[in-house]
Amino acid sequence: MTHITTRLVRPARLRFILVLLILVAGSVLTVSGGPASHDIRPGYGVTDLRWLSDYLPALAGTPGDSPVYVMEGKEEGGTLLLLGGTHPNEIAAVMAAILCVEQGEVSQGRVFVIPHTNNSAARYNDGTYNPTSPQGIDLITASGETRHFLYGSRYTQIEDQKVDPEIFVHEPSGLEFDGIEARNLNRNHPGKADGTLTQQISYALFQLVEQERVNVVIDMHESSITSRLANMVVAHPRALDIGAMATLDLEMAGIIMKLEVSQEEFHGLSHREFGDYTDAYAFLLETPNPGQERSIEYPDVVNDPKAPLSHRVRTQLRTVMAIIENYTLIAASDQAIGIEFPFSIDELEGANLGEFLR
Amino acid sequence: MRRRSLFILIACLILTALLTLPTLAQETEEEEPAVIAFEQPVLITSIGQSAGAAQAKILAMRAGLDFVYEQRASLDDLEGMKALIVVMGASGKGLGAAGVDIDAEIEWATELFDRVRELEIVIIAMHIEGSSRRGPMSDQINTTFAPRADYLIIKGAATEEEAANIDEAANGNIDGLFTTIAAENEIPIAFVAKTLDVVVVLEDLFPAKEEG
Repeated sequence: MTHITTRLVRPARLRFILVLLILVAGSVLTVSGGPASHDIRPGYGVTDLRWLSDYLPALAGTPGDSPVYVMEGKEEGGTLLLLGGTHPNEIAAVMAAILCVEQGEVSQGRVFVIPHTNNSAARYNDGTYNPTSPQGIDLITASGETRHFLYGSRYTQIEDQKVDPEIFVHEPSGLEFDGIEARNLNRNHPGKADGTLTQQISYALFQLVEQERVNVVIDMHESSITSRLANMVVAHPRALDIGAMATLDLEMAGIIMKLEVSQEEFHGLSHREFGDYTDAYAFLLETPNPGQERSIEYPDVVNDPKAPLSHRVRTQLRTVMAIIENYTLIAASDQAIGIEFPFSIDELEGANLGEFLR
Repeated sequence: MRRRSLFILIACLILTALLTLPTLAQETEEEEPAVIAFEQPVLITSIGQSAGAAQAKILAMRAGLDFVYEQRASLDDLEGMKALIVVMGASGKGLGAAGVDIDAEIEWATELFDRVRELEIVIIAMHIEGSSRRGPMSDQINTTFAPRADYLIIKGAATEEEAANIDEAANGNIDGLFTTIAAENEIPIAFVAKTLDVVVVLEDLFPAKEEG
């Protein structure tokens, strides 16, 4: 009897182990071969789903491909490209983009939202700057469901791109950076069609801006809490007036955002290159993330008392709205952009962000 | 006869009153603070190459000023100007972009101020970017040029009591630097809690010209 049992169990165990191995191998293959997927639940405002590979086919099936959520208003107008997750560890930027996809509605014009702009970097957290920062965050929705969101890395995963050079030379400026910056999307703009994965992601973004005639690009980021960049709007020189008007309006609403003009030597950065290489007004936003502070061990990137996630997401979205409102003031009436939410963005302050998600 | 005397008495009283009233009015006016009004057009520029001057440009637009904005003005830009607004605040990146260091910036701004004095143009110095422009480099600019201004506009708290009600990041006068400079140099100073409040100060300083 025992013998029979043994005979029955062994193949089952083997089969289980085999299946497990296939699943693990399969998932690894999927992970390293294709784009990571995320729990994003588009709302009624999303009218079309595209991929970055629609703008550069070479990205299809690679970890660098990423969904592009298109939100088109009933009234024709201008076009906004809203980027989250250029650095997917800058989680307020990712969550602000996801909230926009899940709850935003566009009344005029079009909004293209990419929550994980560098989707390779979004796959896991390599611990840059703070090895004790999390691999993901859990948020509880109004219905009590727990939703999980990945907290990624600053850099394209090393296994997705060839070994870092000793010195990374930005193209086309020739500016030199540390080798690791070859995997930093925000040092690779305007990208290269046949370049590295990071350069290809950038190139696809620039193709999108050109083909869709984007008027405004907003690249959402976070910095460490003590960085001078914390709570800042960086505007391309052509966009400086809009940035100045937006920061003045924000201050009246109690949101203090410093304003900085993008300098010419900032080659490879979005606020510089989208402004230089396209007709779009380019902005980069920064909120302070405790997860990027080296001195904080096991940072609570959701409920930090000084910089809770809901507060940072509110700052990001209020700033986006202020930029769009002031862009609309100077744009031709048929190029205006209007975004609405079914709640006041200020309600995010002190609230549980999960309750605003679907 | 009595009626005629009464009439003369009342007439004298009225005359005395009419002659006295302007003096009283003048005395009352003298008790009011002097109204400061500057002339336009205005040149707006930065000392320190921060983005504050770009905000000042928007504030001037909203105040309806007749102005020219040059992030780093030249002496030639002063031609025809009646007032100069300088926004004080050092940005390392901004200075780098202009190809200068802080010493060169101070040298250039000193030249600008000297020329402004020769031309008898008034200078309004603004500090509107809060505590982020109170570092050592910015304070080199603040302490050099604020004492040479004719009027100061500062975003921040005038007193320690007010400081309790203002965000630390928005308070450019957290240590009372500008209060001291204004007092020591007898410079009128206006404090604003928010940058957009500068619009009202500018409207007061540059009254709209009468039409026709």
